Amino acid sequence: MIKPKRYLAIAFCLSVLCFGIVQDASAIDVNASYDLSTLPDMSDFDPNLPLKPDGDTIKIAIISSFTGPGAVTGEAFYLYTSWAAHDINKRGGILVDGKKKKIELIKADNQSRPDVTKKITERMILKEKVDILWGTQMSHLTQIVSQLATRYKKIHVNATSVSDSLMEGKNYSKYSFMTSYSTQQIGRAAAYYYGQIRKKETKFYILCQDYVFGRSIADAFKEGLKEYYPEAELVGEDYHQVFLTDFAPYLTKVKASGAEVIFTGDWMPDAFNLLKQSRQMGIMLPFANIFINDPISLEELGIENGEGLVLISPAGTGNPIFKNQGFINYYKAWNNQWKTKFTPPYNTIRYSHIFGNPAMYAYSIYWTASVIERAKTLDPEKIISVWEGDSYQYPNGKTVSMRACDHKAVTDLHAIEFVKPEDQKQCFNIPPYYIYNTSAAGGPVFEIPSEKILPKADPQLCK
Amino acid sequence: MDPTTAMYIAQGMHGIAYGMVLFLLASGLTLILGMMGILNLAHTGFFMLAAYFGYQMVQWTGSYWAALAAAPLVTAVFGILMERFLLKKVHVYGPMAELILTMGVSLVILDGVKVIWGSQSLPLSPPESLQGLVNIFGMQYPAYRLFIIFLSLLVLFIMGVLLYKTRMGMIIRAAVSDAQMVDALGINVPVVFMLVFGIGTWMAGVAGVAIAPILTVSPGLASQMGMDAFIVIIVGGFGSLGGAFLVSLICGLLSSYGIQFLPQYSAVLIFIFMAVVLAVKPEGLFGEKT
Amino acid sequence: MDKKTRWMFWIAGIIIFAIFPKLAGIYYSNIVVSMSVWALFAVSLNMLLGFTGLLSFGHAMYFGTGAYGAALALTHVNGLSFFSAMAAGCLCSVVLSLIVAPVVVRVSGTAFAMIHLAFAQCMFVLALKFRNITGGEDGIGGFSVSHIRIPGLFSLDVTDPAVFFYLSIGTVILNLLVLWFVIQTPFGQVMAGTRDNVKRIEYLGFRVSHTKAVVYVLAAGSAGVAGAVSAMHQNLVAVNDAYGMMVSVLPIMIVMVGGARSFFGPIYGAVFFGFLEEYVTAYTDKFELILGLILIIFIMYWPLGLAGIFLKLKFKWLTRKQFLKRSGGGAG
Repeated sequence: MIKPKRYLAIAFCLSVLCFGIVQDASAIDVNASYDLSTLPDMSDFDPNLPLKPDGDTIKIAIISSFTGPGAVTGEAFYLYTSWAAHDINKRGGILVDGKKKKIELIKADNQSRPDVTKKITERMILKEKVDILWGTQMSHLTQIVSQLATRYKKIHVNATSVSDSLMEGKNYSKYSFMTSYSTQQIGRAAAYYYGQIRKKETKFYILCQDYVFGRSIADAFKEGLKEYYPEAELVGEDYHQVFLTDFAPYLTKVKASGAEVIFTGDWMPDAFNLLKQSRQMGIMLPFANIFINDPISLEELGIENGEGLVLISPAGTGNPIFKNQGFINYYKAWNNQWKTKFTPPYNTIRYSHIFGNPAMYAYSIYWTASVIERAKTLDPEKIISVWEGDSYQYPNGKTVSMRACDHKAVTDLHAIEFVKPEDQKQCFNIPPYYIYNTSAAGGPVFEIPSEKILPKADPQLCK
Repeated sequence: MDPTTAMYIAQGMHGIAYGMVLFLLASGLTLILGMMGILNLAHTGFFMLAAYFGYQMVQWTGSYWAALAAAPLVTAVFGILMERFLLKKVHVYGPMAELILTMGVSLVILDGVKVIWGSQSLPLSPPESLQGLVNIFGMQYPAYRLFIIFLSLLVLFIMGVLLYKTRMGMIIRAAVSDAQMVDALGINVPVVFMLVFGIGTWMAGVAGVAIAPILTVSPGLASQMGMDAFIVIIVGGFGSLGGAFLVSLICGLLSSYGIQFLPQYSAVLIFIFMAVVLAVKPEGLFGEKT
Repeated sequence: MDKKTRWMFWIAGIIIFAIFPKLAGIYYSNIVVSMSVWALFAVSLNMLLGFTGLLSFGHAMYFGTGAYGAALALTHVNGLSFFSAMAAGCLCSVVLSLIVAPVVVRVSGTAFAMIHLAFAQCMFVLALKFRNITGGEDGIGGFSVSHIRIPGLFSLDVTDPAVFFYLSIGTVILNLLVLWFVIQTPFGQVMAGTRDNVKRIEYLGFRVSHTKAVVYVLAAGSAGVAGAVSAMHQNLVAVNDAYGMMVSVLPIMIVMVGGARSFFGPIYGAVFFGFLEEYVTAYTDKFELILGLILIIFIMYWPLGLAGIFLKLKFKWLTRKQFLKRSGGGAG
C-alpha cells in the first residue's frame, strides 16, 4: 500500500520529469519545420529545364547577377532555389487564399549594376507582378531592392547579403527579412571560436578587401577579440584593393609579422588568389574565412594546402551532418540527381551536395513558403505578422528564428576546420565517408551559440 | 640576412616580378600602337583568352610547358584573324573607328569566354618543377616568380634581337617611320603589319599563360591587369618599348613598396605618379610629341 | 516639311509628353527617363567625339562627378530642390573639367582617349578610397529631394514618378537645346574645323586649344547634368554606376550606333539601346556579347550609324518623290 506522502513524492518527481521533458522539448520546439517524412519524387528536376508550373502561381523573383563577374553567384542562387521550388511544387504547392498555388521562379538579372537592379526589380514588380523579391548579392544592390520593396509593399527575402547596415536606421524596411547571417555575427563568431573554444593561437593578422564589407567585417572581428579574447594580439591589418592581382607584398608583411592566423573576409576570386599565393610563398598559416569553400579551387591547391582553414558557416548543425534517415534521403535525392541529370554548368563537384552554405539559398525558400502557408495569404502585412518572431527548422535540422524588431535571423553559427578526406568521416557519416576526396573540407565542427553572437541591433529599432 | 632586410628585398623582387609580367602585357600593346597606330583595347581580352587556352591545353595534355608553348600561338592566330578581317576593313574610317572596333571585340571576348568555359574561376597550377621555394642568400623566394622574371627577360631579349638585329626587324622599323616608302621598295607592308599584330598578341598570350598559375583563370582576369597595362603605356609614352619597360618596373615597385610603407594609399600612388608625369609631359615619359 | 506640319509635330510631341506617364505607367516612364539621361550623356560625349574629333574613354568621370555632386549636396544641405541639386552636380563637373582641361587640350587622338581612361579610373579609385565621403561601394543613397514650391502658387512632389518624369525630361531637353544652339553658332563651325583641319583653323587665327577647352567644359557640364538627374532618379550613387568602365563605354556605343556625325544620332542610339536592353535582357544573359557584336557590325557596315541610315532612307524617299513629281509634271 502506498502512503499518500509517497504519492505526493512520486507525483512531484513525475511532474519535475514531465516539466523537464517539456522544457527540453520546447528548447528544440519551432513554429514549423521542413517535412522530411514524406519526400516527393524529385527525379524530374533539371535546373536547365525548369518545369513551368501551370495555373495561378506564387511568383518569386530571383534577383542576382547572371552576367559579368557575379554570374557564378547567380548560377548557384538559381540552382538551389529552383530545387526548393520544385520540391514544394511536387508536394502540391501551398494553400493560399483557399487555393493550392505552385511556386514560379523568375530570373532577374541585375548585372551587378545599381541602375539595372532598380530597373529589373521594378520590372519584376510592375510587369511580372511577382509576389516575393528574393536576393540579391552585394549590400548596395540589396538596399535598392529593399527600398523598392517598401515602396511597392512587396515581401523581400534577403538570403544572400550579409551587411548589418541593411536592417538598420533609415535602411530598415519592414518588408525585408534577412534570413542570412550578418557581418557582425561572422566577425564575432570567429573571435569567439579562437578565444573561447580553441584557445591556442594568439597572434592575428587581418587582411580584408578595401571596401565597406571588408572594413566592417574586420571591425566586427576586432570587436569580438576585445570581447571574447582579450589576450589576443593583432599583429597587423591591411585592406587590399578588390580584384587584386598580386598579393605577394601583403603576404611578405604577414610573414614578417609573426602572425599565427590570418583573418580574411575576402570573397572569390580574391579569397582564393590570396590563399593560393600564400601557399606558393610557403606561408602555411590557417585562414579564418567565410568564402573559401569552393571544392574545385581547393582541389587545385592540393589537399595539404587546404588543411587548417577555418570556415565560419551559417549552415552547420554540428557533427555529423546526417542525424536522421529523413535528411539522408533528402540528400540522396539531390546527389543522385546531380550524378545523373545535371548538365553544364551544374554538373561540377561544386554542386554535388545540398548542405553547407549554398544550400541555405534553398532553405530560405522553404522558410518563406512555410511562412506564406501559415499566413494563408499573400497579403504582405499578414506575412509580416507571421514571420516576425517565427522560428523554423531547415531540412538539415538547423533552427533559425526571425528577430521581430529588426528582421534579422538569429541562429547558431559554426566554425568548421578543414581536414583531409580521411578525416571528413566525423562530418560526413554516410558512404563514401568524405565530402570531397580531392580536397580538404569540413572535419571538426564547433558550435558558436546564437546568444553569444546575436546580430547587431539598431537601438532605435530594438529597444 | 636579417629578417627586415630580407623583407625589403623580397618586396623589391615581388615588385620586379609583377612589373615584368606587366611589361610583357604592355609591350605587346605598345608595339602594336607604335608600329600601326592602333591602340588595341582587345589586348587585355587576348591576354585573358590565352590564360583560358592555357587552361584548356593543360586539361588536354597535362603539361604546363605545352600550354606555355601553344596557347600564346593560338592567341596570336586569333589576333591576326582580327587584324585581317576586322581592323583592315574599318581602317578607311580612321583611327577612332579602329579604337572603337577593338573595344567591341574586347566585349565579345569577355563575354564569349563565359559561353565556352562558364563564368567560374578555373584552376591552373605551376609545373611540378617550379613549385616550392628557392633559397637566395638565406631568403626564401617562390620559384615560379623567379621563373616569371627570367621568362620576361627572355622575351624582352628575343624582341630586342628581332627588332634590332634582323632584317625583318629593320623592315618593321622602317615601315613604322614611313610605310609608303617601304611599300614603294616592294615590301609587302600589310604582311609586315600582320606580323607585328601577331607578335604583339603573342606577347599578351605569354603574359596570360605566365600569370595564370599565380591567379585563377576567370573572366575578371582582363580587367585586373588591363588598367595597369594601359597606364603603363600612357605614362611610358605611346609606342616606346623602353618607356613601357621602365614604367612597368616603377609600377611594380611602387605597388609593392607602397603596400609596405603606405598601405592606405598604395592604390592611389600609381595615379599620383601618372598625374605628375602627364602634367609635365602629356605625351608620356618617352613619347614623341604629336 | 513646311511650317504647319512642323508646328503640328511639336504640338503632338508636347501632348504625348504630357500624357505619357498616365498612359504608360510608372515602369515605362522610368525607362524613358533613363533613356533621356543616356541621350544627354551621349550627346555631351558626341560634342567631343563627333563635332570636335576627340574621343574620351573616361567621360564617366563627369557623369559620376555630377551624380556625386548632386547626391552630396542633397545629403548635406537640407531642403535642396531638384534644380539646385542639379546645378550643384553640374558645377562640380565643370570645376573638375577646368582642372583637367589644361592637360588634356594639349593632346588629341589616342592619347586623349587613353588619358581619360586613366583619369576616370583615378576618380574610381579615389571615390573608393574616400569612403567616408562617397560611401564607397555602397554609395550614397536615400537622400530626399525637397518639393519645388512657389509660395502661394504650387508645390511639386518630386518623389512622384510622373512629376519627376516631367522635370527630368524637361531638363534634358533644355540642355540639349543649349548644345544645339552652340553648334549652330560660328563657334560650332570652328569646332568642326578643329576636327577636320587643325592647321587651317590655326592659320585663320583661332586658337585650337581654347576652342577645345570651351567644348570640353561644355561637354563636362552637360554630362554632369545627366549624372545629377540620374542620381536623383535612382536615389543612389555608387562607384560602379558613377565611374565604372561601362559608364564610359556605353555612351561611346550609343554614339557609334546612333551616328557620330549627327547631333540627333546619339539620341536615336539611346532609344535603340533602351529598347535593346529592355527586350534582350528579358531573353538572354549574354547582353555584353550582343553589345559587342552590334558595335562591330555597325562600325564595319554602317559607320554613320542609325542617323546615316535614316538620312539615306530620307534621301531615297525624297529623290523618289522628286522623280515622281518631275515625271508627273512631264506627263502633264
